[in-house]
Amino acid sequence: MSESICVLPCNGLDKCAGDLSRRVALELAQSEEVELICPVLINQNSSRYEKALAAGALTVIDGCNTRCASKLAGDLELAIKEKVNVSEVAKALDIKLGVEIRDDQDTQAVVQAVLEKINSSVAEQAESEFIEPELIEYNTFSHGKFIFKVPKSNYFFNENDCWVTVSGNMARVGVSDYVQQNLSDILYVDPPEIGDEFEQFDDLGSIESSKAVFEIISPVAGAVVAVNTGLNDAPEQVNESPYEKGWLVEVRLSDFEEDQDLLHDCPAYFEFLKRKVEEIDV
Amino acid sequence: MSESTFMGVERDRIDWSPRIDFTKCNDCMDCVEFCPHQVFEVDENAKPKLKVKNPNNCVVFCRACSKTCGPDAITFPDKPETTKMIKAIRKAEKEAATDE
Repeated sequence: MSESICVLPCNGLDKCAGDLSRRVALELAQSEEVELICPVLINQNSSRYEKALAAGALTVIDGCNTRCASKLAGDLELAIKEKVNVSEVAKALDIKLGVEIRDDQDTQAVVQAVLEKINSSVAEQAESEFIEPELIEYNTFSHGKFIFKVPKSNYFFNENDCWVTVSGNMARVGVSDYVQQNLSDILYVDPPEIGDEFEQFDDLGSIESSKAVFEIISPVAGAVVAVNTGLNDAPEQVNESPYEKGWLVEVRLSDFEEDQDLLHDCPAYFEFLKRKVEEIDV
Repeated sequence: MSESTFMGVERDRIDWSPRIDFTKCNDCMDCVEFCPHQVFEVDENAKPKLKVKNPNNCVVFCRACSKTCGPDAITFPDKPETTKMIKAIRKAEKEAATDE
């Protein structure tokens, strides 16, 4: 952690997971570069932390899946650089936290694991092996005040509005223009872990705006090779360039031919999306 | 709304929707607020109040509501099994079409 960071934790008064977020936040606050943000105070007087937030990136610690701290950051339209969820870390360690607040070996292990996760957030990843296409041409259609774009070729889509584009046995995955317009300003990208193996239609992390959380449902099966680290500082690239600069995950494919059975090519997705937009009346 | 499908398979042939464990559910209704597809319904006079009213409105393979669930009370069917089933239906339909 070289630059300054602001930490917004769950307030941690009602149950064990929350108490652990508080403990993690207090540990982090021992460093001079870290400014602790009190969720109650920022909710009541957001200008109090304006300066600190302008100077440092924001880390959010959620206790459980109610995600009060994340939601608070979303409501205040704060861009989140990093996010951890104590309950998910505990789940990965196979530790049941329960309700009762306690300080024992299990809870200490969770605190340690969360701290490690925050400190090693920039996972090492190999140089990208993906060869970017030079020029992508788009087809567009409009519905009301919205204009939707879909590439003319070389992309494949599932009906969950996630795309894949392939070069050799490598591929990139992202979300369609429809998703980014639906979510509006994207504030946070939660990437999968490098090395994770996944099946077609498994989750590959999520993206989040102040309106909603959108799960990335993978159009292909494979392994995560890289994530788009450019989005840490600029998640808005998903809005500005959903098919190119806003790609989310780079993967090594396991059986693309098999995956294609449940994917649309560009013209088919274009027609699918047109029907969908008309039906739900965006 | 026209008849809905997922990859050409009628939606009502695909078993994909949230299952609620009412021993864990705490009636917070975050899932109801979250889901934009009216999958859930709240009946204040019923017990439990929460109901999966429109399972076929649920977006196949979406599990996002379960992630908003603090007490972790929502589960979904197995994804690989569901994928296999969809592929099998598509294959059978294709074969039936070529037989005609």
